[in-house]
Amino acid sequence: MTTNLLLGLLNDMALAAVPAVGFALVFNVPREALKYCALGGALGHGLRWLLINAGGMRIEWATLIAASVVSLVGVYWARRLRAHPKVFTVAAMIPMVPGVSAFTTLLALAEIERTGLTDALLAQAFEHGLRTLFIIAGLSVGLAMPGLLFYRRKPLV
Amino acid sequence: MPTRPPSPEQQKEITVLCVRTAVLLMQFSAESVLVESVSRRLGLALGVDTVEVALTANGITISTLCGAHAETAVRRNVDRGINMRTVTDVQRIMLDAEEGRLDIAGVTARLDNLTQERYNRWIVAVMIGLSCACFARLAGADLPACGITFAASFVAMTVRHQLAHLHFNPLVNFFIAAFVATSIAAQGLIHELTDKPRVAMAASVLLLVPGFPLINSVADMVKGYVNTGIARGAMAALLCAASCGGILLAMTVWNAWAWIQ
Repeated sequence: MTTNLLLGLLNDMALAAVPAVGFALVFNVPREALKYCALGGALGHGLRWLLINAGGMRIEWATLIAASVVSLVGVYWARRLRAHPKVFTVAAMIPMVPGVSAFTTLLALAEIERTGLTDALLAQAFEHGLRTLFIIAGLSVGLAMPGLLFYRRKPLV
Repeated sequence: MPTRPPSPEQQKEITVLCVRTAVLLMQFSAESVLVESVSRRLGLALGVDTVEVALTANGITISTLCGAHAETAVRRNVDRGINMRTVTDVQRIMLDAEEGRLDIAGVTARLDNLTQERYNRWIVAVMIGLSCACFARLAGADLPACGITFAASFVAMTVRHQLAHLHFNPLVNFFIAAFVATSIAAQGLIHELTDKPRVAMAASVLLLVPGFPLINSVADMVKGYVNTGIARGAMAALLCAASCGGILLAMTVWNAWAWIQ
């Protein structure tokens, strides 16, 4: 049971680190910050996986907590790097962005237009749409957490 | 730190430097609170008394005050994508000025010499292909589905690079890239190459999710910059809609309706 959980966690962290670096390249994150993207991506997605699968938490709250933790660690890295934490923490959040839900929402709406309104399609559009909004809100507020709680009137870097 | 207050000519130069840094940061998708704080701190470090910054999505106004003398500069602002290296470079220039290692001439020289060098586009395309394959794997795809996802998103990313290089509107760009990605991924469904064709189709367009503008948008609004937040959120929603248009067109052309049951 514990080994399964550990293997699942390592698998999840390894799979999340790749997209974090991939999108960091698209965002042109400086070379010296790429390792923080990989670490942050693995830490955030892994922590969320653990909170959902071992802690029985809902994905929205788990996202908020994972994003807050990454961004608090990010402040420490950012000081060493002399750069704003957002430079690499946003790329680290990318594996947690609910992309499939976002597209499913819009495609369900298009399908309503194409084939007519049914309860199933309406439910799909609303559920995925709300999930997208809540998770994005969790990510952004989580990233803003150090500024909201600890660095209220002073700059992070 | 300069000991004497700047002359009116120097104040004019400082104001221009402040607005240049603000425009650079805004263009390359720094969040609004960072744009405002970096340009204000730069102005204060170079010796003016106050720096007032007004941000909108299409323009930036900065006013500096030195004693009773005010200087104002307005610059147009166009979105030029995301470039965290430039954001980092600009912030380091500000930090150097704050630590007294750069004067007006020094800051001007450093800003003039900024390069917007990017990573090699083929490395980026391969990494994006791998990223989408990892997303597919996280969603429970088998190996063939991961392979299809890699191929689809790799090709879509090269298309996206090429269209951006030709200065197409990002909305057109995302529409075409989504069409290409879904067309390739749909072959897995049509020829029954994998047991999980839906996962491949869903994961192959994830390179088009505007995650950065979405997060920036909410972050801006949470920190009180509602107008730039709304502008960025609206742009992100439009990019999503353009991608969806591409997916829909591809599903119609190939008659592969895998997303919606």
